[in-house]
Amino acid sequence: MDRELAVALAAEAPVARPGFKEELRERVDAGFPRERRSWLPSRRKLLPALAVATCAVVAVSVVGLDRSDQHEDVPLSRGGAAEKAPNSTVAPSPTPPPADRSFAPGRERRIERSARLTLQAPGDRLEKVGQEIVNTTERYRGYVLSSSLGTGQDDAGGTYELRVPAGDLRDALRDLGRLGTVRSQSQNGQDVTAGYVSAADRLQAARAERRSLLRRLERAGDQTGAEALRRQLDLNARQVSGLRSQLRELRVRTDYAAVSVTLTSGEDNGGAAGAGGDGLGGALDDALGSLSDSVELLVRALGVAIPVGALALLAWLAARTVRRRRRDAIL
Amino acid sequence: MNEATIEPLAGLDTHTATESFGDLYERSFDRVYAYVQSMLHDRAAAEDVTAQAFERAYRKRRSYRPGRGSTEAWLFGIARNAALDELRRRKRRAHLATDPEDLDAQPLDDVAETALRRQTVRAALDTLDPRERELVALKYMAGLSNTEIAKVVGISESNTSTRLNRTITKLREACLDRI
Repeated sequence: MDRELAVALAAEAPVARPGFKEELRERVDAGFPRERRSWLPSRRKLLPALAVATCAVVAVSVVGLDRSDQHEDVPLSRGGAAEKAPNSTVAPSPTPPPADRSFAPGRERRIERSARLTLQAPGDRLEKVGQEIVNTTERYRGYVLSSSLGTGQDDAGGTYELRVPAGDLRDALRDLGRLGTVRSQSQNGQDVTAGYVSAADRLQAARAERRSLLRRLERAGDQTGAEALRRQLDLNARQVSGLRSQLRELRVRTDYAAVSVTLTSGEDNGGAAGAGGDGLGGALDDALGSLSDSVELLVRALGVAIPVGALALLAWLAARTVRRRRRDAIL
Repeated sequence: MNEATIEPLAGLDTHTATESFGDLYERSFDRVYAYVQSMLHDRAAAEDVTAQAFERAYRKRRSYRPGRGSTEAWLFGIARNAALDELRRRKRRAHLATDPEDLDAQPLDDVAETALRRQTVRAALDTLDPRERELVALKYMAGLSNTEIAKVVGISESNTSTRLNRTITKLREACLDRI
């Protein structure tokens, strides 16, 4: 019965009209010529290309943003040769101040700068290098806020808190870097112009008020009124004093850059301290640094691209499943 | 002959490694058409969809991977998608509320017994739901194996066998009821 049924079912197979097979065969032979060809690629090709392009743009943007959050590397001169410390990071010039009505264009910008430097020098030269750090600071008319130096076996090394005129920071760091092997360096800058201008304006206003109060005191008729004005003058004096200190502090913080130098004991792998970083060792350091940067960038890009790619893959799979179900739903 | 036609489609056929698309066309046209028309019940639409299926297959011929199934399974998968797309379009247009009878498909000169048997089979086929009819079309009209049907429909091979058995049983009972 099954065989008979199978034969009967096969016999039920619809047959194409005569001629259709040949007509279609001609099209097959002609390679299914397109009637018109758009200069645009097909949607099937365009969509994945767009998706990939979007992923790439997102990845590059995110990586770019991520990197822009960091401090930019700047070359650091050592021994006359421009060299980048292994972990050298330096803040870029502070970004333009945010739009603030208290900031008048043309006014001097107030940037609070700071830098960190880790120097390595052989144990027997630590003391000398420490002295050179102080000398260098003084040569730039800076001053040493605090310092500590140990030369023993266990506590070999030191720390120096320096204040260097902000305008000389770059040169001072270059000279300090020459005293040993720079293991890391970073710089930061913060624009405090808005705060400075605000404090200056408030001080100006307080002084104007003081002049007004003094004029009113001169004209005061009775003792009670004069006493009240004196109390206001006292308050005003405290306000003026506070604002002046605030301004002075801001001025010191912006006129002088805070430099923290950490001195560590160790052999100089890149050459003798002060002898410069030229030669094979320096070149190798540079090459390793570049390679490290490249790998870091690649890892960051992958960190963005992989999740985005995974999401795109999931979306594609989901879309395919939905499409298939929608097709099958017609049956 | 066009170069594209004689271009060897390596792996396109399990029998010969150098089968051209033209060979595939010759080998499968009748079965693809039969399957598509059994899905659509409309000769004109079946011609359009068959042509569309072969054109799609031709354009996607380089995407065929032998490891993912036979050329038949691949081609019928494309034909199935084209037919389902046509059914969906048709549903949206609401042109065909029910499957129309294809008068051309009924030869008038059948002898009485054959005609009666075919009438019985057709009536029994009408008792099947579209999914069951599709399985029958793929198995008995297109001549695909269960493995190929599984690939085309997107279900497992064991599920295909089960469904086919159930469908044939249903069909047999429907035939017996009408004898």
